[in-house]
Amino acid sequence: MNEMLKFDNVELYYDHVYALKGVSIDLREGETVALIGANGAGKSSILRAITGLSKTRSGEVRYLGKRIDGLNPAEIVKMGIAMVPEGRRVFPHMSVKDNLLMGAFTRSDKADIARTLEMVLGRFPRLKERYSQMGGTLSGGEQQMMVIGRALMAKPKLLLLDEPSLGIAPKLVQDIARSIVAINRDENVSVLLVEQNSRMALSISNRAYALSTGSIVLSGNSKELMQDDRIKAAYLGGDL
Amino acid sequence: MEQILANGLYLGAQYALIALGLTLIFALMNVLNFAHGQMYVLGGFVTYTVYAQLGLPFVAGLFASAVTLAIIGALIEYFLFRPVIRRSSREESTMLLAAGIAFFLDAVILLVFGEKQRGVPKIINGVLNWDFRLIMPYDRILIGFLAILSIVSFILFMQYSKTGRAMRALAQDRVAAQLQGVNVDRYSMIGFALGAMLAGLVGGLLVTITGVNLGMGGPTSIKAFMMVMIGGAGVISGAIAGGFILGMLESIGLSVLSQYGDITYLLIFASLMVFLSIRPQGLMGKPWG
Ligand SMILES: Nc1ncnc2c1ncn2[C@@H]1O[C@H](COP(=O)(O)OP(=O)(O)OP(=O)(O)O)[C@@H](O)[C@H]1O
Ligand SMILES: [Mg+2]
Repeated sequence: MNEMLKFDNVELYYDHVYALKGVSIDLREGETVALIGANGAGKSSILRAITGLSKTRSGEVRYLGKRIDGLNPAEIVKMGIAMVPEGRRVFPHMSVKDNLLMGAFTRSDKADIARTLEMVLGRFPRLKERYSQMGGTLSGGEQQMMVIGRALMAKPKLLLLDEPSLGIAPKLVQDIARSIVAINRDENVSVLLVEQNSRMALSISNRAYALSTGSIVLSGNSKELMQDDRIKAAYLGGDL
Repeated sequence: MEQILANGLYLGAQYALIALGLTLIFALMNVLNFAHGQMYVLGGFVTYTVYAQLGLPFVAGLFASAVTLAIIGALIEYFLFRPVIRRSSREESTMLLAAGIAFFLDAVILLVFGEKQRGVPKIINGVLNWDFRLIMPYDRILIGFLAILSIVSFILFMQYSKTGRAMRALAQDRVAAQLQGVNVDRYSMIGFALGAMLAGLVGGLLVTITGVNLGMGGPTSIKAFMMVMIGGAGVISGAIAGGFILGMLESIGLSVLSQYGDITYLLIFASLMVFLSIRPQGLMGKPWG
């Protein structure tokens, strides 16, 4: 399998406080890779570094072989990386329709965009029912579907998801998890999934990295990690 | 009564157009453009030059005003606001910069166009007289109509074009907009140019009725800020509401209060202070709609 993303020895600082100290991860085409870790471990910072929202201090970020650290977010998104950010970040005073259309901002083929829109609405029929409602008035679960749909509208090759299960009812978490699996399988999208819900993340990913205070402490096959005593103790302790 | 309403509508349409430009710039860049009134005056002088001095059609003058101010707006964003916003984390910096630009434009206008009041030939003659209940010169009706047409076009542009959608997205959530591929620098520049263009356009429209002079810049900025405060900063519907409300108040004041002297704006300012102390976010105060 071809390498899609390579994150090589990356350091990232906010002012003088480090968030990542020499993190290396990689992701191959077609994979779903999970990043797990406690609050403040640096999971979101990895995603922010990939999309150019936060500047790295050292190290390299490569996407499909090209260096992308130093580019601005608009350029990176255009190359086929879409991100569902932490806290969802819907456009509150825009309709569901306009929220979704914003996702296709980098694309210009109208017919092709219409096809993607149909695919997204097929995947999340709730969005179709709420099509002209303002984004800010949707429920948390609906907003989450909308921002995943918005990211899919970009027709990405790599999808970054930051805690899609946060603040959502357990029943819906399962739906979202199933959607992620289906998207990865049907849409030819590789997925980098950040989750605090480690059980869910490990159950739907091929591989995973565990992060603690800015460093990778464990990595490997998700199924094996799920049986790992250290992981069990640190991340799977509380049952869902 | 009809007369007051008609005057208020005509005035309100011009005002709303000015307020829209100001609120657009604020929503996109968090910049209070104190130079907005000067941009309006500049627009008036450009139409004056093209239409009255060069003798070209009025439409050509309007077009020239809009284009000139769009270019000036783009240059100001690129060379002045962008580097200041990049380097400074304090909002006062952009306020001082905007104030500086206002003084600078005043000086430029003085040098290039002089300090005299300038007027242009009437664009159409004649007066509409409806039973003496409503008397309105045709040129005012036309200018009012053009202003309303511009407001409608602006709304449609913001609502349905890809560029308009991107600007709304940027105003509602900067980070999310970037993640959809919106280039912040490019769209700030487009937004600033568009805001300045609206100011220039109103200048070109109103020069046919009121003429133009150097002193109009400051007061126009203040009125624009009042409208935006009434309606709620950064909200399209608020700017429009604020514009029409101020236009209407001014029209009522001029006909009802004129026997007491020039107290219309005194009363408007006093009511605005009371209003804002009750509802500081303005009528439709929310982060953009
Ligand atoms: N904008 C910022 N300014 C300063 N420090 C920040 C900023 N963003 C994050 N940090 C710090 O960087 C560290 C890593 O943050 P990050 O958001 O990457 O963690 P996370 O693993 O995503 O946590 P969570 O699970 O709570 O979302 C934390 O210590 C955080 O306080
Ligand atoms: Mg996070």
